Amino acid sequence: MEVDTKVQPPSANTTATTTTTTDYMDEDTVNPSSEQQQQESQEQSDDLFAVALLIDELKHEDVQYRLNAIKNLPVIAKALGPERTRNELLPFLQECIDDEDEVLVVLAEELSNLTDYLGGIENAYHLLVPLENIAAVEEASVREKAVESLCQLVDNIAPNHVEQYFLPLLKRLSMGEWFTSRTSAAGLYAATYKRVPANVQAELRNMFAQLVRDDSPMVRRAAAKALSTFAEQLSTNDLLGGGLELLQELAQDSQDSVRLLAAEDLVAFGKLFTPEQNSQHLLPIFKALAEDKSWRVRYMVASEYVEIAQAFGEPIVREHFTEPFLSFLDDPEGEVRTAAAGRITGYAQLIDKDVAIERLLPCVRDLVADENQHARAALAKEVSGLALIVGQMPTMEYLLPTFLQQLTDDFPDVRLNVISSLDEINKAIGIERLSQALLPAIHELSEDKQWRIRLAIIEYIPLLAKQFGAQFFEEKLLDLCMAWLRDKVFSIREAATTNLQRLTQVFGAGWAEEAIIPRIQKMATDDNYLHRMTVIFALTTMADALPANTVRDSVLPTVIDLSTDLIPNIRFNVAKSLETMIPLLKQNPATLELISSMVKPTLEKLSIDADGDVKFFATRALETGILIN
Amino acid sequence: MVDLDLDACLERLYKKQLLAECVLREICERTKELLMRESNVVHIRAPVTVVGDIHGQYYDLIEIFRIGGYCPDTNYLFLGDYVDRGLYSIETISLLTVLKLRYPERVQLVRGNHESRAVTQTYGFYTECMRKYGSQQVWQYFTDMFDFLTLSVVIDNSIFCVHGGLSPTIHVLDQIRIIDRFREIPHEGAMADLVWSDPDPDKEEFSISARGAGYTFGKLVVDRFLHLNNMDHILRAHQLCNAGYQVLFDDKLSTVWSAPNYCYRCGNLASILEVGVNGERFFNVFDAAPENDRNPQQAQLKENDPIDYFL
Repeated sequence: MEVDTKVQPPSANTTATTTTTTDYMDEDTVNPSSEQQQQESQEQSDDLFAVALLIDELKHEDVQYRLNAIKNLPVIAKALGPERTRNELLPFLQECIDDEDEVLVVLAEELSNLTDYLGGIENAYHLLVPLENIAAVEEASVREKAVESLCQLVDNIAPNHVEQYFLPLLKRLSMGEWFTSRTSAAGLYAATYKRVPANVQAELRNMFAQLVRDDSPMVRRAAAKALSTFAEQLSTNDLLGGGLELLQELAQDSQDSVRLLAAEDLVAFGKLFTPEQNSQHLLPIFKALAEDKSWRVRYMVASEYVEIAQAFGEPIVREHFTEPFLSFLDDPEGEVRTAAAGRITGYAQLIDKDVAIERLLPCVRDLVADENQHARAALAKEVSGLALIVGQMPTMEYLLPTFLQQLTDDFPDVRLNVISSLDEINKAIGIERLSQALLPAIHELSEDKQWRIRLAIIEYIPLLAKQFGAQFFEEKLLDLCMAWLRDKVFSIREAATTNLQRLTQVFGAGWAEEAIIPRIQKMATDDNYLHRMTVIFALTTMADALPANTVRDSVLPTVIDLSTDLIPNIRFNVAKSLETMIPLLKQNPATLELISSMVKPTLEKLSIDADGDVKFFATRALETGILIN
Repeated sequence: MVDLDLDACLERLYKKQLLAECVLREICERTKELLMRESNVVHIRAPVTVVGDIHGQYYDLIEIFRIGGYCPDTNYLFLGDYVDRGLYSIETISLLTVLKLRYPERVQLVRGNHESRAVTQTYGFYTECMRKYGSQQVWQYFTDMFDFLTLSVVIDNSIFCVHGGLSPTIHVLDQIRIIDRFREIPHEGAMADLVWSDPDPDKEEFSISARGAGYTFGKLVVDRFLHLNNMDHILRAHQLCNAGYQVLFDDKLSTVWSAPNYCYRCGNLASILEVGVNGERFFNVFDAAPENDRNPQQAQLKENDPIDYFL
């Protein structure tokens, strides 16, 4: 690889918004009033200078400069004034059309911001010309922006201008030779429809139908995407007549990429029709799409299942929607099963509890063992929601056994998703039953290779501890909690210290003194400085849950002992720990004198330590804790 | 003179917020003054956690702190290649620079081959600076500061740490000490070799490197170097390791690599090396941070790769 050290980056032009300062020679007399006039005209010419720079940047070689200029189009337009903007700026921008996509997409957006600078809304139609050109370029994201701006414009311009300028534009795009113009045209129909009289609307409906029947699948896709918003503009008659026909055609298109868009349109149509109309006209379409031979279409239906169901309404759902959903859960294609699995809870909320229990729960059991890991992971997220819907007994019978399976799944996302929702499962069946189910899995999970899974288990420990009681806890789980203090991942060690504090709150200080503190103190002579540091963190965190004599006899001495540690990191953490504990010591008269007898001397010694960070933290502790009272 | 509140800067940087251009100028100025006093061979003591290439993968740098512990509680030695290729080179190098400035005794930064004007213009850092700051000033501040980064570190007079590897012109440490390092990395010579060379387990001596800069070196070279300088181990980065690290030459040389799922697509693990006071070496292996997936920009990147500095 050639390494060129002589290359200098392009020199930067001065950016547009510099203000020049006037330099006065010593001999110049400074006249105050003329200075102000000078300053004003200086500012004006500064502005013009700035605008001239911007205009130059429009033609600059470097894309970044052109982008900057385009983003400031309103500034340029304002300076040029309406006439010059219309007659010079807009035609100039026309020439930019073979510019880079990055620039065009910003241009398409900024053009719609120029309506205020053309001399009134009656001149806004001038923007249509450059936008029409941009709407026909190859890059889809650029065309989309242009269509967006055009829709904004048609909303704002006068009705006669809509007929005079916008309709011809729409016709030209709809009949354009290249598919790019026709795809853009599809996106304009909804916005135009509401601004034209009834006879023109009839024409628009015909033209849109042509797009639905276009030779190019790209155009038909664009029409399918636009159909929802277009349908919302139609009268009920036209909807039932032409609109429905278009939907049926799209749902039977030869291309699956078109058919799957019809599935999305089902939602919009469902909302516009009455339940009887849904049952009569849309239900057949829905059923056909749900059984489509292309998995992509089925996937789309599965992904939108809840929205489609809600649009169709309860009676139809109860009778017709459960069978297809169950088929999705059993679909030969993994993606479809995954999409459906992710919607189980949403769907269960729409049907009777009994149906959910009878029909859905057995499928859940099968899905837990699905070969597709994403399907299993999607299911794992939903299980807690299901538990809340079906209630305690079915959860115990069907769902609880599956938790264990999911907790020990190979795929980490499955384990993580179940653990993250333990709280909700807890609400459904109660902590007692949950902990019994969990216990076998805990040991395996506590050693999981993914540290975030270990973290999730740690956070659950205090709750489980309360459930099991001190003795059982000590037998089964205490060693685990101490082992986490030495975990190779810092975040686990940190969580382990918080865990100890919460356990102290659950079982009481007396228990902590006997069961935990001695073991922590032993760690203070560990070879690894990170472990010795954990000792400091653990004791500091537990301190406010402990009685005064424990702090005096166990916590403080252990911490202060470490102030002579050879590693500076330990010493400055002693200082930080003491700083944290000072307010605590002040609260209790039994510990108050420890500040002057033990804490202050230690901090003073550390404040003249050889290491800069030790000095810093010790000094800070002295200043905030002791010297300021 | 801008008044610098380094703790406030750190707070922003941990939230992945950019610092103002004038703040970065001041930070780089002060860092240059600090680094200027360092020798080309900095001596430090264990315990320390050594980090390999990061390449602008900010979320994975945070993951390193979540695993290894935050600075200043944990001592860190970074072996270079902080920028380029990842999406957040600026956030990454800003955080590391401010940490060095705030806790100079707890953080050591070594220069990598990507801490160079020429390389950063090709592999993304320059482009990122233009995109996020609108001018090349920030790039200039940082690349000027890179000239001051040290070339090597020795831990406990026993472990020699460098970004790339060894040079045929360097036999003893004193030869490194006399290099004038305060300049752009040259095409060739000792300074180039130290940041560009690679070990070759199949070779004994120095050979031409396929990279076009630096050399490859083999077992005899390593043994000779360690013997002549009375040291036990060479620690370096610079090469992608699928398992996050690699140990060669009978445990005489290790490579540590700290950018998981490199370029958001290689699928590799990463590691940080924890060196203890008794010379113990533990490779703490980890995977990419989940924030990389949740970031929509990254998700878009997986789809259409619009940024052209990805290889």
